This record gives sequence, C-alpha cells and structure tokens, in this order.
Amino acid sequence: MKKSFDVTVLGGGPGGYVAAIRSAQLGFKTVLIDKENLGGICLNWGCIPTKALLKSAEVYDMMKNHSADYGIKAEGISFDFEKIIKRSRDISGRITKNVEMLVKKNGIERVRGFGKLVSKNEIEIFDNGGKSFDSVSTEKIIIATGARPKVFPTIPVDRKNIITSTEAMNLQKQPKDLIVIGAGAIGVEFAYFYSVLGTKVTIIEMLDNLLPIEDKEVSETLEKSFKKRGIEIYTKTKVENVVVKDDAVIVNVEKDGKKIELKAEKVLSAIGVTGNVEGFGLEELGIEIESGHIKVNKENYQTNVPNIFAVGDVIGAPWLAHVASAEAIHCVEKIKGLHVSSIDYGTIPGCTYCVPQVASVGMTEKKAKEVGREIKIGKFPFMASGKSFAAGERDGFVKLIFDAKYGELLGAHIIGPEATELISEITLAKSMEATYETIVKTVHAHPTLAESIMEAAANAYGESIHI
Amino acid sequence: MRVNIVMPQMGESITEGTLIKWHKKKGEFVKKDEIIYEIATDKVDTEIPSPEDGVLSEIKVFEQETVVVGTVVAVIETNGSSSIDSKTETTVEDINREKAEPASTTQVGGELIDVPMPKMGESVMDGTIIKWHKQAGDKVSRDEILFEISTDKVDTEVPSPVDGILETLLFKENENVNVGIAVAKIRTTTGLVKEKIALKEDQEQEKKISKQITNHKSPITNSQQTTANNKQQTTNNFYSPLVLNIARIEGISINELEMIEGSGIEGRVTKKDVLTYLQNKRSGKLFTQVFSSDNIESMQSAKEVKSISTQQIEFIAMDTTRQRIMQHMIYSRDTSVHVTAVMEVDMSKIHNFVEKNRDGFANEGIKLTYLPFISFAVIKALKEFPLMNSSIEGKNILTKKFINLGIAVAVEPNGLIVPNIKNSEEKNIRGLAKAIADIGTRARTKKLVPEDVTNGTFSITNYGVFGSLFGTPIINQPEVGILGVGAVTKKPVVIDVNGSDAIVIRPMMYLSLSHDHRLIDGMLGGKFLKSVKETLENFDTNIV
Repeated sequence: MKKSFDVTVLGGGPGGYVAAIRSAQLGFKTVLIDKENLGGICLNWGCIPTKALLKSAEVYDMMKNHSADYGIKAEGISFDFEKIIKRSRDISGRITKNVEMLVKKNGIERVRGFGKLVSKNEIEIFDNGGKSFDSVSTEKIIIATGARPKVFPTIPVDRKNIITSTEAMNLQKQPKDLIVIGAGAIGVEFAYFYSVLGTKVTIIEMLDNLLPIEDKEVSETLEKSFKKRGIEIYTKTKVENVVVKDDAVIVNVEKDGKKIELKAEKVLSAIGVTGNVEGFGLEELGIEIESGHIKVNKENYQTNVPNIFAVGDVIGAPWLAHVASAEAIHCVEKIKGLHVSSIDYGTIPGCTYCVPQVASVGMTEKKAKEVGREIKIGKFPFMASGKSFAAGERDGFVKLIFDAKYGELLGAHIIGPEATELISEITLAKSMEATYETIVKTVHAHPTLAESIMEAAANAYGESIHI
Repeated sequence: MRVNIVMPQMGESITEGTLIKWHKKKGEFVKKDEIIYEIATDKVDTEIPSPEDGVLSEIKVFEQETVVVGTVVAVIETNGSSSIDSKTETTVEDINREKAEPASTTQVGGELIDVPMPKMGESVMDGTIIKWHKQAGDKVSRDEILFEISTDKVDTEVPSPVDGILETLLFKENENVNVGIAVAKIRTTTGLVKEKIALKEDQEQEKKISKQITNHKSPITNSQQTTANNKQQTTNNFYSPLVLNIARIEGISINELEMIEGSGIEGRVTKKDVLTYLQNKRSGKLFTQVFSSDNIESMQSAKEVKSISTQQIEFIAMDTTRQRIMQHMIYSRDTSVHVTAVMEVDMSKIHNFVEKNRDGFANEGIKLTYLPFISFAVIKALKEFPLMNSSIEGKNILTKKFINLGIAVAVEPNGLIVPNIKNSEEKNIRGLAKAIADIGTRARTKKLVPEDVTNGTFSITNYGVFGSLFGTPIINQPEVGILGVGAVTKKPVVIDVNGSDAIVIRPMMYLSLSHDHRLIDGMLGGKFLKSVKETLENFDTNIV
C-alpha cells in the first residue's frame, strides 16, 4: 500500500532537511526525498567543504609567510594539494552523515531517490537509472530542490578545463594558473584559495568592484589586499567568449573598449546560480516559475498551488543556506498555523571567507543614499583595536550606517579578522531594532574585536574613544 | 532674627507638597501675611503668606520641587536680625558658590537640561501638556513659563528651570506624560543648575538634587534621547529602541503605541508597524487621542473607531477634573448597591418663612434658601438614624459621631465637587446658611483646602436649582447615603381640612434618597426620608 504523509519535502539541503526536522518536531508525519547525501550543495559542494579548503590555505599562508611576525621560526613549509582536497571531502562526508542521523532521530522517513510530482498530492520516486520504485501520497509538499551554477553559452563549461565551483573544490592537481570569472563570494573565495597555494590567479568581474554587492569601501579594501597577493583583477570587464585550445583556456575580454586575451590552465565560472526547477513535474502541475525560480508568497512560501510550498535557492535570491533554513522553518510553522512574523530580508547577513574576511548586513552606503535616507556613518579601523593589534591582524574596519533621523541601524560592513563571526552581533542588534545608543551602551569585553563595533557606533556620533 | 519658613501641613494625610511658584525673589522685602509662595498638595493648591515682616534671605526649595511637610523652604530675616548671622550666611553661600564655580564654568554654553513633567502631588502619576508657550528654538529665561499642564489634582504652568535655548519638545500638546519623564530639552546658557547644588546644605537634599542632576545629565548629542524614560512609561510591552525613537520624534505616545498591532517577534510593534501607523495618522485615517492608560475599555473602543474619518467626530481630551469625576462615579457605582426612594414634601411653612425673611437675612449677609432647612432636617434625621451617617470598612460598620454634611457644588464649566460642613450638627439654620454659602463660594473660586473635601459623612445634592423634579443620585464614597433635592414647584394637592378632602395649591418638593443597600434597607431608608419630610413640613420657624 502506498504510504501517506502530512508533509513531503523534496530536497535535502539546508532548506529541505531543516523543513523536515521542523515539520517532524511539530508533529507532522514527514518524508524527506533526496537522491544524494543530505546537506545539499551547502554541506556537499559549498559552504562547508570550501571552508575546509580555505582554512588549509589560511594556515599555510600564516605559517609560511607570517611565522616570523610572531617570532616563530618555520622552515621548509609546504603543502600537499591532494591532502588538502581530501580533508575537505572527508569533512563534507562526515557532516552529511550527521545530518542523516539527525533526520533519523527525528523520526523522518528518508527516501533516497529522485522525487517527481505526479499530482498535487502524489510523488513518484525514481532511482538513478530513471526507474520508478516507490511513490508517496501527501497532504503538503515543500520543494527545496536548490540551485546549480548558472551556465552561459559564452562560457561553455566542460567541467574539465572550464569548471564550476563543484570541480574547483575537487581537482586532482593544482592548476598552474586560473582565471576566475565572477567576483561574487564564490569567485573571490576560490581566487584567494588558489592564489595562496601559488596558482597564478586572474579574476574577472563585469561590475565595478570585487564583491560588487558589498559596500564600495569594503570592496576596494579587498582589492588592495588581493593585488598585494598578486591576484590580477579585471573589473568592469566583459567576457566575450571562452575557448579551450591545446589544453589551455583562452578568455577574450573587453575592458574600457579594449580587447584583451587572457590565458590559463583552467577557468572557473562563478557567475551565479539558477534554480533547479526542471524535470520533477512542476510545469505539469502549472506551478508558476519566474526567470528560473519558483514564484512564492513570501508570507508563507506557498506556490500558486495551495498545498505546495517552496523554500531556499529554488525560489531565488539571496541564495544563502541560512536564508533557506529560515524560510524552511517559517514555512512549516505557517503550515502548522503558528503566528510567526515574516522574515526580514533586509536583515540577512552575508559572509565571504577569504582573507580578509568580509561580512555585512543591511544597506550599503550607496544603497542608503539611493533610497533617500539621511545617514550617519561610523567607522572604526581594526588598526585601532588592541585585540587585533595583539593578534597581528590589523587590516580592515567596521563600518556602520545609521539613519540620521531615527538612529536606525541601516547597515553594517566589516572587513578584517573574524568579520563573519562579528556580524552576528550587529544582525541581532538590527533585528531587535537597536539604535546606535543600544550598541554604544552595551558593554563590550576588552580586549575583543567586537569592541570595534561599539567604537564604530560611537564614531557615527563623534563619540568614539579610541580614534 | 532668622525665621524659617516650612512646608505647611495641609491636611492630616498630606505628607508632602510641591512648591509651584515663588511670589517673592531672594532679597526681597516681605510683609507679614503677604503671599510668598504657592504650593500644590495631594488635595489642594494654596498660597502661603509670610509669618513676619522681613527680608527673604534664602530660598531653599525651587519651583516644582516636592518636599516633605516641615521642610524649611525659605528663611526670612526679620528686622531684629543680627548682622553677624546674615554675614555668616553669606559666607557659607559664597563658599558654596565658589565650590560650584568650576563646575558651572565647564558647563557654560551648552549643557542640555531635561525639563521633566513635574510631580504635582504624591498620588499624581502623570500630567497632560495642555499648551506649549514656547517652541523649539525659542530663547527662554529662567522662570519663564514653558508649558501648561493638567494633572489629576491641579492645572498649572511650568516655568523654565534655567536660562537657555529650548532645543527640543519631546511631547506634543494633549499628550499625557508620566511624572519625571523629560518633556523638553533646554541648552543652557549659564551654569545655573550647578549653582543649585551649591545652595544645598543638608545632605539629604543634596542627594535629592544630585539625583535630579543625573536626570538632567542629558545625552551629549541631540539624537541620544530618552528611550529609557520612554520605557518607564510602558506597562509590560517591549518596544525596541528604534520604535521608541520614532515614537518620540514623531510624537506618538506610549498609549498610542499600545494600540498598534505588532507584526514582529512575539507580536512586538516593529519599525514597520509604527511607520505604517504614522503614515495612516498623517493621512487622516487615524486620530490621536489621550486617555488613561489603565483604562482598557477605552483603549478597546478606541481601536474599534480607528477607522472612522476624523471629519465626523471631534476628540476632546478630558481635563483632569472630568477624569477624576469619571473615576469617582465609576468607583461609586462599582462599590455601592444603589437604591433610590422618593418622597414628596410640602414646603409651605419653609416657603412662607423664606419669602417673608429673605430680605432681613440678606441684610445680615445671609442668602436664605431652602437648603439650610433641608440640611437641618437631614442632620436631625442622621442623629435619629446614625446608620445613615456611617461607612463600610470591610465587614465592619463605621458609625460617625460627627456629621460632616457634604453639599455638591457644580463648578463651571463642567465640574463637580462635594465639600462638607464640618460638625454641621452643631450649627443652627443661620450657621448652616453661612457654611453652605462659604463652601459654595470657595468651591467655585478654587479656594477649598483639602480638609474641606475629606471626611464627609453624608451628602446633599440640589439638582432642583436646575429645575429637575427628582433624580437618582450617586453616593459620594465612602458614605452610604445621599439626598437629592428636587425643585420646589407649586402644585394642586389634596389635603385634609377638618375631616374632608380639599384641593389646595402648595409648594411641593420631591426628595430622593439614594442609599447603599449593602447597609441600608428600604425600611431605614423610608424612615429616614419620613423623618426629613416631617421636620420640613412641621418646621418650627421660631428656632431660626
């Protein structure tokens, strides 16, 4: 007999598995369908394995290039590329198993296979060979099928010479030189990683700066740091085409009206992602899809078919694991009928884990001005922080943007040591609608990097003590 | 000789008073009985005269300061004063001044001073700003009137504590603000506030003032405001610092905030909610209003009418007197079990007497009306039925051996107060007539003292003067009865003339007695009324 469930979750990434766990917690009979290991891109081919790679690079860079700064003698420092990759894969493997256990512990039915909606209440499950082996009937469906690297005809990804992030984190041999197309978080992180290991890296961005969605001052600081590392940066540069020639790749670009030919062993295409919306019956059910993503009501993540919901990358920007999880929880709680307030998309932190780290939440200075806000800006350089001085990590700053009228915290931008950890305090402050005063009057431990946040807030009102 | 002027005791239960206004300045000569300052207490406001001729040599308590009864508020040097004494004084003062000097120099030209809602009495928790006399940016001098407030007890004008520039008005007119909350900020031009400390000698007072100073130690910058203070104004709801900032800047009261439905975590009011509210308010979809925060009923009704267009209604903030009457009425209704009995009284004898003797009494300065006679009859009945002259305390009956007869007085334009005649049982008709005239006049001219409105034992309300025949009066708590006096009108009545019925014209009056059925049943109520009726109908005019 066909099994029936209250909630069926399609896709086991940070949207899907979180939706399934929350659903089970709330007492729904839940099934989670994914043909791969749980954890989605995030745990298998994204956030976690890349953080493992970046840590290796950071440790190597620190030992090789900065030991002497700390009075440490370190000679003959070298690395084993294969082992770095293996470490990353092992970590990914272990963490996805942990998720499988979590799912099991919560009494969720886990189906390994490819789920396809055959009606609005029925999902058929196929094996890798495309053969149907099971089906479930369900009251509610949550689609969390994620996204995949976007492919453009001008950049014919072959996964060998022209690769995506998936291949970039699993290469067998370190490339001699690498061209990264796209200077978003993914592109910048790989540029940093390979550059530290000695690959000659060139990074191409169509917009004005590296990390173009970040505050301009942050991007410019990062550019300086990357240039110092020897990374070649082409911003405001358009890729005309990419061709493979004699086991090398030629990238033809246009910058300031001039045509330039760039050549490297490998090209990493990191130009964004597109939703996984094809092949599992969405079109047949008439679920609305808008420019590669499922259209939902962001109050409850319902699609135009009332019992079908969608969360995470598959519904579009900002394509972040933490957003997918938040949406998943919200969606399930709404299905349960709980009164929960909508997700504030203006208070989603974004993090980039190269060195220096970059993290931000809320509006950039430019955006705040564009929307017509009168603002007060507070900045505090890590150079003036005792903690970063002691740690020998003195680059970067905290920049806070306040609304001049109400004192609202509009945005926060951090570049420098532990920026990605520091941003959480400001995210909480922003979500609790703290004002500058709340931050300034909150006693911060000394010596910490976080003091810089307090100082930056004070600086916005001319009250900073240490600058 | 030095004569200390102390905060007087204005009533038994009154432990402190607020000095609202100095009529004399330091160094000024004052005559005996000349008004030197005004105070406000829990019960009434009054003016305090000087006990001696002399020079007002020291002012120890500033306007809007509340001090306990007995505190020295000023010193008068009478003519016989020794010069040594005054010299010593000056020296101490000079030293203090010097001490204060460095502090004030640093403060010159820019300390931001909070002007708090003054405390107008012990039980007064808030006040409504009726009118701003100054606007942001205006130059203000010390003691110049900044704004007018209305509180539970009194209405008053609040002067500026310092010379300076009025920098920010934190609340709008008709907004209700809790005592102690800053309502305005003044940037000083002198170090006067510091000087205040210098004048303080005794430690306790110093402590008090330094506390004030802390309150005054206002934000260094304009934007750093009174969020914490605002928070005090809330009940249990959490409002984010940002929401409070917006509310303060846009003049949204905490009461209004409480009306807004929150969409945030745990139903909190978010920035978005308050901005939406503000937008609706500005576009006329909502209206502002002021109401008692503890009155949930009114909050709910306000919610209901949220959507009515402002053109169809006018909202008038109740003055504090009205609010107080409202509260007393509701309290009485919720406390006593009201029943009302009515009897008709033939007022012929009294009518004739009054008509005949009106002018004669007028020559004595007494306005002769029916009321002294009715009062007399009531007092007699109260002596006869002491249960009517009592109150209920828990499960006990408190029977009073004195009769403090309350007389309800209407105060224009829309007020009511019930002062009572102390030991009215000791008074004859003349005494009662004088006493009634006296409390009536003082009630209308706001000259009552707290004593006048406390410890009443039974009340009379005379709605007859407005033409009403009878009514169902509300008991003045904690009393157990109130007599309503209707209009005296000539009517045909059937009387017994030598054993046969006859129709005659008589000046008739209805008396309604509302009594608290918890204590007084119909029998006693009837007996009491009957007694009053018989006294009035068979009045022995010889006793007048």
